[in-house]
Amino acid sequence: MKHPRIATLALASAALAAAMAAGTASARELVLGFQCDRSGPTQLVGNFLCDGAHDYIRLANRNGMFGEGNSVRAFEIDHGYNVPRGVEAYERSKEAGHVSYGLYGTPHTYALTPKLTTDQVPGTSPGFGSAGAANGQSYPYVFPVAATYWSQAGAAVQFLMDEWEASGQSGLPKVAYLYYDNPAGREPLEILRDIQGRIGFEMREFAVPPPGVDMRPQVLDIVRNYKADWVINHTFGKAPAVSIKELSRLRFPMNRVIGFVWAASEADMQAAGWEAAEGYQALQFAGVGQNHKVIDQIKAMYAEEGKEAPDDKMAVSVYYNRGVFIGALHARAIANAIEAVGADNVTGDDVRKGFESISDFTLGGFMPPLNITPEDHEGGGWVQVWQVRDGAWVPITDWIQGYRDVIMEHVEKAEPPAG
Amino acid sequence: MINRETGTFKRTYAEDLAIFRTPLPKIAIGVIALVVFVIVPWLGGSYWLGGLNLIGIASLGALGLNILVGYTGQISVGHAAFMSVGAYTAAVILREFPGTHWLFAMLGGGCAAALVGMFFGIPSLRIKGLYLAVSTLAAQLIIEWVINHWSWLSGGAQGSIYIQPPTFPWIENGELVVRKMDANLHYYYLIYTVLAVGIVFALNLFRSHLGRAFIAVRDRDIAAEIIGINIFRTKLVAFGIASFYAGITGVLYTYFYSIANFESFTLLVSIQFLAMCIIGGLGSILGSILGAIFITMLPIVLDFILRGVGGAVFGWDDAAASAIMPQWNLIMFGGLIMFFLVVEPDGLAKMWRNFTDYFRVWPFPYV
Amino acid sequence: MYYVELMLNGLLVGSLYSIVALGFVLIYKASEVINFAQGEFVMFAGYVIAFWILSLDFNIVVAAFLALVVMVLVGLLVEWAVLRHLIGRPVVAVIMATIGLASFLQGTAQLLFGVETRTVPLPIDDYPIFIGDLLLNRIELVAAVFAGLGFAAVGWFFVKSRYGIALRAIADDQQVSLAMGINVKTFFGIAWAIAGVVALVGGVFWGNASGVDTQLALIGLKVFPVVILGGLDSIIGALVAGLIIGLVESLAAGFLDPLVGGGTKDLTPYVLMILVLMFKPYGLFGEKIIERV
Repeated sequence: MKHPRIATLALASAALAAAMAAGTASARELVLGFQCDRSGPTQLVGNFLCDGAHDYIRLANRNGMFGEGNSVRAFEIDHGYNVPRGVEAYERSKEAGHVSYGLYGTPHTYALTPKLTTDQVPGTSPGFGSAGAANGQSYPYVFPVAATYWSQAGAAVQFLMDEWEASGQSGLPKVAYLYYDNPAGREPLEILRDIQGRIGFEMREFAVPPPGVDMRPQVLDIVRNYKADWVINHTFGKAPAVSIKELSRLRFPMNRVIGFVWAASEADMQAAGWEAAEGYQALQFAGVGQNHKVIDQIKAMYAEEGKEAPDDKMAVSVYYNRGVFIGALHARAIANAIEAVGADNVTGDDVRKGFESISDFTLGGFMPPLNITPEDHEGGGWVQVWQVRDGAWVPITDWIQGYRDVIMEHVEKAEPPAG
Repeated sequence: MINRETGTFKRTYAEDLAIFRTPLPKIAIGVIALVVFVIVPWLGGSYWLGGLNLIGIASLGALGLNILVGYTGQISVGHAAFMSVGAYTAAVILREFPGTHWLFAMLGGGCAAALVGMFFGIPSLRIKGLYLAVSTLAAQLIIEWVINHWSWLSGGAQGSIYIQPPTFPWIENGELVVRKMDANLHYYYLIYTVLAVGIVFALNLFRSHLGRAFIAVRDRDIAAEIIGINIFRTKLVAFGIASFYAGITGVLYTYFYSIANFESFTLLVSIQFLAMCIIGGLGSILGSILGAIFITMLPIVLDFILRGVGGAVFGWDDAAASAIMPQWNLIMFGGLIMFFLVVEPDGLAKMWRNFTDYFRVWPFPYV
Repeated sequence: MYYVELMLNGLLVGSLYSIVALGFVLIYKASEVINFAQGEFVMFAGYVIAFWILSLDFNIVVAAFLALVVMVLVGLLVEWAVLRHLIGRPVVAVIMATIGLASFLQGTAQLLFGVETRTVPLPIDDYPIFIGDLLLNRIELVAAVFAGLGFAAVGWFFVKSRYGIALRAIADDQQVSLAMGINVKTFFGIAWAIAGVVALVGGVFWGNASGVDTQLALIGLKVFPVVILGGLDSIIGALVAGLIIGLVESLAAGFLDPLVGGGTKDLTPYVLMILVLMFKPYGLFGEKIIERV
């Protein structure tokens, strides 16, 4: 009944895949697999981020970053934030022979962590996934590469305490933690509660059930009942825009709101209205805006190819640039691996070592000074605070870390997966 | 005489009850078993086995849902939630009692899902149609919420539990050893064995008193009651069986990913399983499997087409194809559901039947 | 004062739930079709009006009129292409068709208008008014007024207009209506067109409050508690139940959240709905013809 059908289908598709693979073979084309969500709940991020990664890989290929005759193919598959499709995407990219993998989405990172370890292929999970994965000993093949939620929590509290002191007010601030009510939203709680216990400021948690289309009662509570001094905004998707809009409607001062990295894009401010967002602050793990050498290079590449640069995508520079950041790290790690063992011998494990030998990689100030080591897969957990001023993001701090000692205590305790 | 009923007379009760009345299906079953358990694993690479694993798991889930929706006529939009009940039960059993054999954890997951499913099936006694649909929708949201918030049970703030891969006995160097399942091939045998059991159970179910009662309830519930079917019990058992299948499906996902995570079992997943039943064919075992294949393969095939055709005709590169593909996937998914409902309500199974019927009566199509 | 604000806020949001639910009730009343794509209708309407205003720079009134035309066409098209063929088919099939429609509308909206969130700009001051110490949002008041107007218009239509009376006749008995010379299929189309227009009101105000993107469609999940509580075929029920659900949600977020340590706002309407299903399945105002076995 069903099985001959599968078999024919499988054989036909296998033949197709083989034909495609044969058609594209060159000196050595290394495959960088990655997955993306362009149709599911986080498409507002994915559509920009993944294009950035594609563009950087293309740039690296043109610049001969991988040595004579070698190239990297960025093989992206959309999973619509659906885990089985994400696993299938990983398998398909493994079949294509990937040596490095870009994960996308927290549940997918969880589901694929054991597979990455079995297959010995490094996977990056910038800004999502498990914060414990910063521990390279427990999670040898997962690289958060950017600040985890724990590091973001530390930096956010550090920043708001500094601001509080600078403003010369007495006592300690009352902090409202407005978070997305899912595992990713709850992850920083462990750190926040620990730091709160040590410093002793007052904190209340306000949960926003996904997707956060409406959060008037929570914001009303924060502003009119709890009367918070500071708000930490850890929301995703469309919730950041809604929260900014509601806070500004209730005249909460925006310069006392600090957003985590997924509540920080131009698209969010656009949706909330730049005037409403004036003064809003957020953490960034990659450079924002288009005044970067690497962005100019990508534009020049489009000009040379005689194509129009994707201005509408690049305009959402927060996500686009993060894609460039991810692409750049993979490219660097693969290039490191090629240098170490030669292009023909590169395996996933070599790329892992390539990641672990990335040091002081900043791409001309585009990224924090990353130092990834076999122990620290997070690269320091650096973030930068940017603020909305006159309708644009402006950096207001240097790359910062916060309560690193507290966070490292938790990271060291992180258990390896599959216990 | 090989494939035609004509001239095959039933002389005993045993013959009358037989599933296969002609030799061809028996041969076909043998060939299918050979293909599934020997040839495919032997020929298929890791990727194809991985894909087939997902299809196999989805088939089992769709089969369970079809028993409820297609055979008993009770709609459920909470199928994925019952999967997560199974997944977490098995994971918690393995976490709390590390020595437990994975088979018992799997059965435990199935039973827990069956109980929860029967609980949420209770409203079906009083209500049906839309009312039942929204009450199962509520079940989906409530179960998701509970798993999300009972972090003491569901694995901390992350709401996920990593598990050890299942093990199987293996002979290595003449010694009996216990190996962990770590390749797609191992899972392939696990999944397709479970699926085979599920199919055989379902086939037999609909030859039994209970299965016939399901169909009677679907076709006309009042008439069913008049001929002495206890509707209350029948509906509950249907919910129980469907949820048991769902629970086992959830456990298989958990074993395959080595993790139980409720974000894999959202409302969208429930809808996908409903779509499998609709497109494959309501009230058809073959249809459930065809639907599972179809829905699993749709994005993959679409991706191939957009990359291939888009590349050849419009000069799209990987990035361009990736950017346009998701919207088409949504449109095709929704469009196909509507298309099948309007044009071929009995789904792929009916198409297959039309195809085989042609050969069954060939060369006398008028008979 | 905060508690008064919380309750008022709940009622105002509730009026917006009512208007979304109204579209659902209209379709159900006329054709007994259960529309799981009501949220997608709201989303699509939001996309359309945002397109006219943001991309083509039309005045809000012109944009609203153009969007109205588009939504009428969408409603008619959906009925003509899909739902008409499913008359007399089991509930499962109809529900599934509207679920397919939901996915289809999401993909189409993204393909036509793009993926990024946009907001529907309204010429209403963003800052609140204070009555004494009591804080009120202008935009919510305006939205509530429009929701009220929408209900009044639909109510008038059903009670007074020739078409509305015909729709009521169809809802009562299709066969007799046919015998009386009412073209039932045309009127199903009219019901869908009105639902499209009603979705526009939701699309404008939800699109302004939360921004338009595919996530906006999830507002459709609020429809079910509202219509079950109010009664599936009751217009007044949709209004009252929408307000109740808005109030319950708001109070849940204010009181329950700190107690259980999680967001209960989206859950409580469904818990309430289950209770209603168990004790009063036809809702507050629904016709008591529910079939039991």
